[in-house]
Amino acid sequence: MAYTRKDVSTLTKAERRRFVGALLEIKRRGEYDEFVRIHIEYYVSDGEDGLRTAHMAPSFLPWHRRFLLDLERALRRVDSSVTVPYWDWTKNRSATAAPWTADLLGGTGRPSDQRVTTGPFAHAEGNWTLTENVTDTEFLTRDLGRRRDPIQLPTRSDLEWALKDPVYDTAPWDSTAGKGFRNKLEGWGSGRGSASWRNHNRVHRWVGGAMLGGASVNDPVFWLVHAFVDLQWSRWQRRHGRPRYLPAEPPGRGSAQHGRIVARHERLPPWDTTPDELEDHSRIYRYA
Amino acid sequence: MAVSAPNAPTETPVPAAPEPALPTRRGVIRRLLLPAALATAAVPAASAVSRATRPDTAAPHLADGPQGTVFEETYRGRRIRGVRPAAGAGAWHVTVDDRPLHLMRRADGTWLTMVDHYRSYATPLDAARAAVDELGPGRHLRETGPHTGGGHGVHA
Repeated sequence: MAYTRKDVSTLTKAERRRFVGALLEIKRRGEYDEFVRIHIEYYVSDGEDGLRTAHMAPSFLPWHRRFLLDLERALRRVDSSVTVPYWDWTKNRSATAAPWTADLLGGTGRPSDQRVTTGPFAHAEGNWTLTENVTDTEFLTRDLGRRRDPIQLPTRSDLEWALKDPVYDTAPWDSTAGKGFRNKLEGWGSGRGSASWRNHNRVHRWVGGAMLGGASVNDPVFWLVHAFVDLQWSRWQRRHGRPRYLPAEPPGRGSAQHGRIVARHERLPPWDTTPDELEDHSRIYRYA
Repeated sequence: MAVSAPNAPTETPVPAAPEPALPTRRGVIRRLLLPAALATAAVPAASAVSRATRPDTAAPHLADGPQGTVFEETYRGRRIRGVRPAAGAGAWHVTVDDRPLHLMRRADGTWLTMVDHYRSYATPLDAARAAVDELGPGRHLRETGPHTGGGHGVHA
């Protein structure tokens, strides 16, 4: 029977405690750091050689869907009542609202070094030491809203701009695709300054610290962000009559994207599954 | 934001600023055209110091310069260096305080780093400065760089 992923701002005290407890337990077991490592390893940029699966590619959405499912399975092995909540940043827009409370993820970092000092993931609590990282800091870092040059979270209309595009993705199937739901939601823009981040990318920037880098998984808000991104894929499917993942077929040998993206029925590394198999989650979970 | 603003030219070298050095953009750019044989190695600081300094305003064009182009500056108290190796190698070698900063290229020709992974910048130097902005005075890159899996080459 399908389980339910909830809006993090609606969780009861007990649900918050159990979610946090399961995260700390898989961290203690060493399972969590494997997720951090995988995310670093699979971040291949589109100006480089090689197959892109996680970012700057059509499979951004199914890759992160499967990544979330793996994390959720690990959490549910610890506590079968736990599911990954989502953070609706179009509604909960304050740096002190959910999920930034002391009984969930804790708040922003201190000014000197961005160190998170509140909540269960503060380094001083002794349960959340970063081992897979870009910097040599062992503590979780955040800079909610970016103090030195404040930016705003993406809005409901930013999301609507992505949701109203009826096509899943378009050539050239990378970060420069000007049309298509996938890149509008992933959020690669052109140009300079704050207009260059949209939706998903902009949320990573707003949170800052660990979430800005390749080791963004070190901040557990990563999962809440990607649950909300995942929910948008479902909403988009419902709105447009369940359009399919694109491309349906691999780009041909003459294409610059040949061998560099995953088509609908191709294997999606590092898993033995395809985007086609990840398009419908209704038998596994649903969103409240 | 700081990295996209034009930088004021400086006439004299600025010594490494004491921390915290915020906010200064009086970095000194030293532009070198290296013989190809030297280009794959990090440039000794002594050779950089002996060259003439140039205004910062030259910096944004360095990424499109010839092979072997080097940038080196002190930015917000951090020492940023970049070397573009000889033909064929392709990858920039960029360091902050002598620690490697992994650089990736986007399909539109812009650059992003492991520190600031969700937007890109016009040049490797811009991307390196943005990484320094994000590190602030209190955080440092790992000495060996992050685990980067398959070792995909960055092609300039």
